[in-house]
Amino acid sequence: MKEFKIYRWDPDTPAQKPTLQSYTIDLSQSGPMILDALIKIKNEMDPTLTFRRSCREGICGSCAMNIDGVNTLACLCRIDRDQSKTTKIYPLPHLYIVKDLVPDLTQFYQQYKSVEPWLKNDNPPDGTEHLQSIEDRRKLDGLYECILCACCSTSCPSYWWNQDEYLGPAALLATYRWLVDSRDTAKAERKEKLQNEMSLYRCHTIFNCSRTCPKGLNPADAIARIKLQLAAD
Amino acid sequence: MQALITPRAAAAARNVRAARSIVLAARFNTARPSYTQSTQPKQAEAGAFTYKPGGPIIRGTVNDAVPYPHPSRSHGSYHWSFERLLCAALIPLTGATFVVSGTAHPILDGLLAVSIIVHSHIGFDASLTDYLHPRKFPLIGPLMKWLVRGMTAGALVGLYQFNTNDIGLTEFIKRLWHA
Repeated sequence: MKEFKIYRWDPDTPAQKPTLQSYTIDLSQSGPMILDALIKIKNEMDPTLTFRRSCREGICGSCAMNIDGVNTLACLCRIDRDQSKTTKIYPLPHLYIVKDLVPDLTQFYQQYKSVEPWLKNDNPPDGTEHLQSIEDRRKLDGLYECILCACCSTSCPSYWWNQDEYLGPAALLATYRWLVDSRDTAKAERKEKLQNEMSLYRCHTIFNCSRTCPKGLNPADAIARIKLQLAAD
Repeated sequence: MQALITPRAAAAARNVRAARSIVLAARFNTARPSYTQSTQPKQAEAGAFTYKPGGPIIRGTVNDAVPYPHPSRSHGSYHWSFERLLCAALIPLTGATFVVSGTAHPILDGLLAVSIIVHSHIGFDASLTDYLHPRKFPLIGPLMKWLVRGMTAGALVGLYQFNTNDIGLTEFIKRLWHA
């Protein structure tokens, strides 16, 4: 039997403070991942427990949460088999909470939108697709895989203090993905937007983002490369 | 996962656009009537703040891009490059004053003093931008900014006096080391 302590907060009783609720489940009757345990608890013990989940295989980014102090995807995080230890599950830190483990990601999506994450090219090749060399395509590896789960941004102390102005690692990784795309022609415009003290330069190379990324990406490296590109301009 | 937020947030944003006012948007929030009605009396009782997605704190829907501040290279890449170059320059500068005598090379001594002060000023200024930005701290933010500026100016004057009328920074550190 393994004990899980899960953050609970109900918007219908907003005056009631958030609490940690304890659930004990039999690990032999549960799947190996944290998400399996959460689904088991919701199905069998407490249907009011609220969390997001969809693909259960780390491709949708819905089940991002803080498990034992680390932001990660519940579906990719194995349950610690040591039954003497309790596992604590919180929502992603420093976000407004909709309910229980569901944070409000509006700001996060608005920041991604501001990056204009689409190909900008006013002179498309005549009648054919945009061609790209193998080397140029390789530059996008490690960037395009981001699933926008918000684990990195919400692990960044700088993002905690200044998330209304600082774009955060996820949005900056997306920015860099378009800055190195050989087909994009709006690079100068994209870079000009970052020329202020808040949007990009609130990154202090803390590296929490790269450490926590459940997809193994390196947003801190992308941000450092943006800074280099801007400095070389 | 967007489906959870979007309908409510969209309704709230329509209100924001119609009313163009945080107060009106909150008052006319028709996003979730049952939720609003059920919590309003409790909220008044407890004096607690209820957070509404798409409400007055985070404005608009997930499809409204956040605005960027006005572009300024002196706040952006120039500032960053200057700070990094100064940082890197401090290493050989410190080494040089350690090797040669500061008293024999007063310009080197002065350069080290000014570099250290500017380096610390940028450092303090960065922490103020992080933790006490004027947009969040309209009173204490500018106050601390001017305090740091005052301290930097004072340190510059003090070190100028010390370097011209006394033994100088490098010599002082050497004596302190052997004391």
